[in-house]
Amino acid sequence: MSTATGRLPLVEALRFAFRAVAAARLRTAMMTLAMAIGVAAVVLLTALGEGARNYVLGEFASLGSNVLTVMPGRAETTGGIPLLLGITPRDLTLDDALALRRSSLVAAVAPIVIGGAPVAFGARSREVNVIGSTAELGPIRHLELERGRFLPAGDPFAASAVCVIGSRLRDELFGHTQALGEVLRIGDRRFRVIGVLAPKGQSMGLDMSDVIIIPVAAAQALFDTRSMFRVLVEVRGREALPAAKRRIEAIITARHEGENDVTLISLDAILATFDRIFTALTLTVAGIAGISLIVAGILIMNVMLVAVSQRTAEIGLLKALGAPSHLIARLFLVEAVLLSLFGCAVGIVVGYGGIFVLGQLFPRFPLSAPAWAAFAGIAVALLSGLIFGVLPARRAARLDPVQALAKH
Amino acid sequence: MQTADYIRLTLNAVFGQRMRSLLTALGIAVGIAAVVLLTSIGEGVHRFMIHEFTQFGTHLIAINPGRTTTHGVPGGVIANVRPMTLGDAEAIGRLPQVDAMVPVVQGNALAAADGRTRRTTVFGTGPALPAVWQARIASGRFLPHDDARSARAFAVLGARLRNELFGDANPLGQRIRVGGETFRIIGVLAPKGQILGIDLDDAIYIPAGRALALFNRDSLMEIDVTYRAGTSSGTLARRITALLKQRHGREDFTLTTQEDMLATLNNILGVVTLAVGALGGISLLVGAVGIFTIMTIAVNERTAEIGLLRAIGARRSQVLSLFLGEAVLLSTLGGLAGLAIGLGGAWLLHLLLPALPVHTPWAYLFGAELSAALIGLLAGGLPARHAARLDPLTALREE
Repeated sequence: MSTATGRLPLVEALRFAFRAVAAARLRTAMMTLAMAIGVAAVVLLTALGEGARNYVLGEFASLGSNVLTVMPGRAETTGGIPLLLGITPRDLTLDDALALRRSSLVAAVAPIVIGGAPVAFGARSREVNVIGSTAELGPIRHLELERGRFLPAGDPFAASAVCVIGSRLRDELFGHTQALGEVLRIGDRRFRVIGVLAPKGQSMGLDMSDVIIIPVAAAQALFDTRSMFRVLVEVRGREALPAAKRRIEAIITARHEGENDVTLISLDAILATFDRIFTALTLTVAGIAGISLIVAGILIMNVMLVAVSQRTAEIGLLKALGAPSHLIARLFLVEAVLLSLFGCAVGIVVGYGGIFVLGQLFPRFPLSAPAWAAFAGIAVALLSGLIFGVLPARRAARLDPVQALAKH
Repeated sequence: MQTADYIRLTLNAVFGQRMRSLLTALGIAVGIAAVVLLTSIGEGVHRFMIHEFTQFGTHLIAINPGRTTTHGVPGGVIANVRPMTLGDAEAIGRLPQVDAMVPVVQGNALAAADGRTRRTTVFGTGPALPAVWQARIASGRFLPHDDARSARAFAVLGARLRNELFGDANPLGQRIRVGGETFRIIGVLAPKGQILGIDLDDAIYIPAGRALALFNRDSLMEIDVTYRAGTSSGTLARRITALLKQRHGREDFTLTTQEDMLATLNNILGVVTLAVGALGGISLLVGAVGIFTIMTIAVNERTAEIGLLRAIGARRSQVLSLFLGEAVLLSTLGGLAGLAIGLGGAWLLHLLLPALPVHTPWAYLFGAELSAALIGLLAGGLPARHAARLDPLTALREE
């Protein structure tokens, strides 16, 4: 404190604050703990929210972002995703689906008929979801095969008796024996296994490891239905999506006696909805955790006030030596900010440590704290140090030097 | 030390350092307010969901075709090899424990009447629907007890569909075309609201047999059954399973009892409320750290005072309870303020967002206040013990 002019360099202020912080060890530890709990909670919870978001978006992205889903029926209500419109009097037929191929904007079309049926091999039987489709389903849904091949390309109206089975269904029906080439029964019809799907997680609510895929015409015969449940349309390029939508609606309207009775859903719309929901969720959760940062700030203010009253004599001495008020205020402000930053650093370390541990425990769940979480944590800690440090600093600065010294 | 002295000492300690006590209590208050507000929202959503699901009554069993080992809608609802027929539904309806039964086919079709058209949900059902789904008839009557296979072409409108198609005109007796077939309107349902995204008011109800023909299918999508009070859902579920197995030769359907579903839902929502409350609890934890810190400081500051108390004969337990009392008083005061803030916040939230259900059970308030006191006791324990253990001689010398 050799410079009695009042121009205290920041280094000097920091050293002063460090000494003060280090002197009251328990108190410092407690304030660090309080700040650290808050920051660690924010980092961990945003990481969980982001992880959930990435997980769900990844699930949907497996469908490809340039795929349109055509559903029979049309809901008048806007907003929301019509999950199940039930059935409609006018079928969306296989002819309708194949007609979509005529548009130059359409790259591939996979009609889908879905139903439940018992699948039996020998004495073992299992009730599974049966998907009727064409060879183009494979590339559109990015289905990978463990062995064998996918449904053959060719006339979609030919009900050839072949099937591709999911990996879990294979395990359940065949155990460790060879499944390829065997003949199994779906309902009362026989199908030859020509391929086994590679294990893949759940996708859009349907466990693709526990399904059986057969040619669409065979599924129509099996379930005695004409109508498609869905038609998946892959569009050439994402830019062509709006044009392709209009084109598909025009084709269907022309084929359905001038009535547009299908619903088109693009993955983009669903993805955007999920993105919004999860971002809002993450922000809310982070905000709730952020409340604890306010509590930590209140604690810092409280302890700093105590420090001011305990160090009254010291402040009096500084003032008697000629230190101006704003310098005293700065000393205490720097101390408050230092405390909160220190707690913040510990909190970030704990938070990322927690993410690392969780990542080791649940490797399938992609946890990652967004960069803004750490920045926001630091910013809030700095800000709370400043805001909650102002009152104690001002109180220290306002002390009367004579009275302050006399207190000792 | 008399009780009066004890109280005076504690009050002096708390109110002597007004700013400090205020801030310490404020820390706890923010935490308690967060917990109260968040659990209020959680509980409100919980009640709302349970209400949504029990609007069909609680003595309900739903039977869907198809079996599935994973969650979600079984594929069998859309199409299946062995249909669940109207015959199955009638057989179930004849079981002695069954009070009422409705078959359900749901679809989507264009309804045209009075020169207007609207795409709407079509429910193929039976005459017992008002009893099973707990719907009220606004005017006219519901579908009559016809033979299910040759039911007359009558239709009942949902409240919204009636408004959209007829406005203020009387729809009773009018003709309506649904997907190419003509029906005569014999009734209008009172508004019922949505269930799981399907608007029951924007719908038309026709006999199940006619709906099956309209949609060209054999299989119902669902059979809903209510049973008499006094029958256990488990017994009836077993009877239905046995009956359908006998008719189909195997178990190719899924039974969902309302009780099971509610229990599951209750569990999930309870966990969500708990998790949300725990999130708010993080702030409470920080508040506890605050009490601990301030009490430690207080003990340090008042070492001389403690020494004096001990010197004039105060026992260790008395010093302990003195500091514990101070910590608990701080936290309970903070807790009370937190309750006020939390309740006010919940009330304000309800005013600003009437759509968001908020509900604060009294038990939660007691629980929150109790936990605040407990936090004071726990966080104050260590500093109080430290104070009680002080050696009177050394403590006095500190002065």
